[in-house]
Amino acid sequence: MALRLWLLVPALLALIILMGGPVLVLGLESFRPFIPGSVRTGEGFTLFHYLELLQPAYLFYIWETFRFGLIVATLAVLGAAPLAYAAVRSPRAWVRKGLLAMLVGMLVMSLIARLYAIEMTWGSNGPLAPLGALTGIAPRSPRYAEVQVAIGLLHFCLPVVALMLVGTFRALSPRLEEAASSLGATRTDAIVSVVLPLAAPGLVSGFLVALAMCISNFIAPLLLGRGVVVFTTSLMYTRFADIGNYPSGAAIGVVMLVLSFLVVYGLTALAQRVFPK
Amino acid sequence: MRALDIAARLLVRGLVLAAVLFLMLPLLVACILSFDARSFLGPFPPPAYSLRWYRAFLDNPAYMDGFWISLQLAVVAAALATAIGTAAALALADPRLRGARALEALFLSPKFVPTVVVGFSLLVFTARLGLFDPFTRLVMGHTIITLPFTLRAVLASLVGLRRSHLEAAMSLGATEARALWDVAVPAARSGIVAGAAMAFVLSFDEVAVSLFLSDAFTQTLPIALVAEMRANLNLTVAAVSTVFLGATLLLLLVLDRTLGIERLAGDVAARG
Repeated sequence: MALRLWLLVPALLALIILMGGPVLVLGLESFRPFIPGSVRTGEGFTLFHYLELLQPAYLFYIWETFRFGLIVATLAVLGAAPLAYAAVRSPRAWVRKGLLAMLVGMLVMSLIARLYAIEMTWGSNGPLAPLGALTGIAPRSPRYAEVQVAIGLLHFCLPVVALMLVGTFRALSPRLEEAASSLGATRTDAIVSVVLPLAAPGLVSGFLVALAMCISNFIAPLLLGRGVVVFTTSLMYTRFADIGNYPSGAAIGVVMLVLSFLVVYGLTALAQRVFPK
Repeated sequence: MRALDIAARLLVRGLVLAAVLFLMLPLLVACILSFDARSFLGPFPPPAYSLRWYRAFLDNPAYMDGFWISLQLAVVAAALATAIGTAAALALADPRLRGARALEALFLSPKFVPTVVVGFSLLVFTARLGLFDPFTRLVMGHTIITLPFTLRAVLASLVGLRRSHLEAAMSLGATEARALWDVAVPAARSGIVAGAAMAFVLSFDEVAVSLFLSDAFTQTLPIALVAEMRANLNLTVAAVSTVFLGATLLLLLVLDRTLGIERLAGDVAARG
């Protein structure tokens, strides 16, 4: 037993040195006054950087980030559920294996390359631009960046949610569906009234993980947003890179950390109350 | 009722097909465009094909330097995260360990810290400590963001391991260390390999953490690619993307031969 406890030491140290310490320092930094034109932060204590975030302009960015997250997470669950179900229950072995290989491949494939491919495919010059225009936003207009960021985030989340749901569907016995059909239910009936309710907790956690992935994503708005789509992550980066306002960047970071944990842990706890296991 | 059933099944098939096309088509388009012979970014499909963008990639020192730095960084970070994650997973898999669930949640929590926050906080933290070496900083950042993935994969692969197997080894005279090494580690092999592969890939592709922690002389490949994409959109990145696609297919093939895709999907699927 003693040996097993020792095995935990490297992970605990890594967590304290690489996460606990830095986040603590970030928290302290967020209360320091900013001295314009200086990399060093002032002495003293201020809530200014947090109060600043309550201004409508900043609340708008936070809302904008969540708006994308909610839309993309919904689409991700809607697309991932049939994909995962087919990957688990398709009667054809090559379909199951092919879908799983594709999903794992997407997880392994570079996200930068995927986002670039989306720009090439859905961008104003791309072959799928007419399809993107169905959203009602013309591919040549600046607002089309929103469509591209959403597509990029969906490409990022969909395989992750699908693989989570593969785990969910694998855990459900196929006997349940067989039992339902032997009682006279059609396959659709069996899925709607037996499989989906049992998979509900998985669907909810897939949605929440996708939401958390979207709101903390940095690279999709950076590469596809063309400056039109600004996430809280982009805001934090410009605080650091463009104006060197570390305390304000730190305050945004703390807010983002809290929001992300609220989504993942707070809402998950709430979901478990609604769908007890 | 029957007609409805058939309609519903067609709808589900349509959705599966749409999702597959949505995921795969862009990669195909980028792959075809990477062989474009035109010197500019023209409409799809290209009228003629060449290898000019691959040559442009190989001739660009920023990419080549970035590639080597990214490779070293990914190897070091993945090795550290795999070693630390495997050790912790072996400890957490013991049902007698009290608070194992809470510890597991704690070790997995870095996954939900936005990567910009990881990068920014490490930047401030290391500056306070007077640590300015970019490679060390990058290794720190990349290790903490990949640790949850190695830990989770190893834990998933240890689910089938029974306490009785370890006890059997120990009752035959093996020390606890010996029992873990000879019984638990081989049982966790698929998770260790899957976790290490995930960690390597994530580190090799990381942008946010690296943007904060690198300096002008230590640029990773993703940073060079992002800079290129933001400055002028040309097809060199398409060539790199196609190389990534090839590497991904190769990795999938190797992983399928060694572990099997079904098993692998199980190990990486258990996330979140």
